[in-house]
Amino acid sequence: MTIGEVIEPTENVEVELVAGAEAVPRTQWQLFRRRFFRHRLAVISLVVLVVLSFACFFADWVAPYDINKLDLSLLGVVKGPSWHHWMGTNEQGKDQFSVILHAGQISLKIGFAVALLSTILGVMMGSAAGYYGRFIDRILSAITDGFLVVPQLAVLAVMLQYFGHTDTVIIFVLAALGWTYIARVTRGQVLSLKEKEFVEAARASGASGPRIIVRHILPNMIGPIMVNLTLSVAGAIVTESTLTFLGFGIQPPKTSWGLMLSDNEGAVNDTSKMHLLLFPGMMLLIVVLCVNFLGDGLRDAFDPQAKHST
Amino acid sequence: MSDPNPIIPAELTEEHQHPVRERNDAALLSVRGLTVRFPTDDGLVNAVENMSFDLHADETLGIVGESGSGKSVTSMAILGLLPKYAQITGSIRFRGEELVGQPERVMQKVRGAKIAMIFQDALAALNPVFKVGDQISEAIATHKDMSRKQLRERAVELLELVGIPNPAARVDQYPHEFSGGMRQRAMIAMSIANEPDVLIADEPTTALDVTIQAQVLEVLERIRERTSSSIMLITHDLGVVAGVAERVMVMYAGRQVEMGDIETIFYRSNHPYTMGLLSSLPRLDRRAGNERLHRIKGQPPSLIFLPPGCAFNPRCPYAKHNVCDTVVPDLRELGFDHRTACIRAEEIEAAKETAG
Repeated sequence: MTIGEVIEPTENVEVELVAGAEAVPRTQWQLFRRRFFRHRLAVISLVVLVVLSFACFFADWVAPYDINKLDLSLLGVVKGPSWHHWMGTNEQGKDQFSVILHAGQISLKIGFAVALLSTILGVMMGSAAGYYGRFIDRILSAITDGFLVVPQLAVLAVMLQYFGHTDTVIIFVLAALGWTYIARVTRGQVLSLKEKEFVEAARASGASGPRIIVRHILPNMIGPIMVNLTLSVAGAIVTESTLTFLGFGIQPPKTSWGLMLSDNEGAVNDTSKMHLLLFPGMMLLIVVLCVNFLGDGLRDAFDPQAKHST
Repeated sequence: MSDPNPIIPAELTEEHQHPVRERNDAALLSVRGLTVRFPTDDGLVNAVENMSFDLHADETLGIVGESGSGKSVTSMAILGLLPKYAQITGSIRFRGEELVGQPERVMQKVRGAKIAMIFQDALAALNPVFKVGDQISEAIATHKDMSRKQLRERAVELLELVGIPNPAARVDQYPHEFSGGMRQRAMIAMSIANEPDVLIADEPTTALDVTIQAQVLEVLERIRERTSSSIMLITHDLGVVAGVAERVMVMYAGRQVEMGDIETIFYRSNHPYTMGLLSSLPRLDRRAGNERLHRIKGQPPSLIFLPPGCAFNPRCPYAKHNVCDTVVPDLRELGFDHRTACIRAEEIEAAKETAG
């Protein structure tokens, strides 16, 4: 992730892309791809995320050291970054880079799974409430408000205490609490979109309610949904870190980036141990940023009218 | 009205040439006593009151009236698209089958497949995120099971039918890449995709400039010839009606005021409102000079507080005190296929004849 890549001039690529723009009718997918690849930050973010996910999920093969084996010579001796240990070693004498890759497995899994689940649930609830209105809207909105007033962290802590601290439980609990925001966004969007004449036209052509929602309204809000999806990836990873930091999340020997931060909170004032906080924190930051950039890129790529603006 | 007469198409074409049209039971679409009211905070809005008319196979009926005269509400009522709080009474029969009060499921099978609608603002009525071809395909797929390839072929065919050049390339474009006239054509292509019997065109040319208007009307005309569907053309433009329609219905404040074939309405109208409308048109055969265009004095009434008696009486130059402002005039048969809702229609007609 060098900043230089981001700022580097983009003219050559740009010209090439525009030159062939109107030549032949393209498929939806081709158009989508062209618009997406024009968004450099998003492309870079995608590459970073793919590489990172790959490295994390195949950590057993990728990581330079086996985190289950202890190097007794390093035990208790915290060492800063070096050629052999890129991110230094921790108090258990483990290579921090290897630990981070393994921890990323859980953080990323939670992030993506929670975002996907809560977005699907939220979009379903929100669009039903917005489109059908009246009675259904009142019930669904009451449920949404109910979830919103509940102090999330407290509920999370209790639920995890009750169901256990496995990542699956964390995913479902976070998703169950996290869908309300997208539900509200969706409801609002659907409320305004359903007044559009093309929805009226769809009704006049005999389309049923679900068909209108899925085929006529939702495609018009891919943008907001995409943005929300990416935001909630970031949100879920951060919430998981918070929970773990407070001791309610993932329990050792499993580890996540949040847990790594929590384990090393004592390092704040100790410059020799600073890297123990710095690297997990940096990973969180990189993932959250990349996911947000990716969201921007996807949103633009999904909008057919943004075709000529870059 | 009470006995549903199934129609036999063979008879229909003959019937079409026979004089008695209004009482015709073989009408494709038959509206009787349709009344639509909307409850609002200010009171009950009388959007449409006691409407009765027939639409026959293979004809174009023009519905003329100013904004708020109930034209669009009538078309929405026919499609069952009025909001749930609307109070609808009366009867709308399509091929003898009652449409008023039918559940949504039944109406969905009628909409698009049997009665389709062309909207005024094609840019708004086309979904901005779909390619035009996909939208036409979607309109077909709503009613029929067809493969993607078949749908696409049909979409190209339809675009060609409405006169879009290079349809094979145009199917893959988005609505914002179309010009105004082409959008309206695409909209028409969408509405005829399922070969409906009745096409309701709600001000199809209002958003277009005059040359494009003529082209779009031509397309409508051609569609009617090719598909033998009937058209209900809603407009506030008498010029458009004169060019396309065979019969005209004039509406004022939610009521029918005059109805008849195009010649009758344009040359032998005897309702003061229609006469006012016609004389407010700029005409080539009249000396221009410093003469101003005629106008109808006053404003159309509020639909919540309709004036007592004839809704037009406060603006009517022929209004008679204690008659016109007390009795709501019925639509009366005044000669062959000509009905007028004016108490003084005969007097007016006689006066016009003496004046020459």
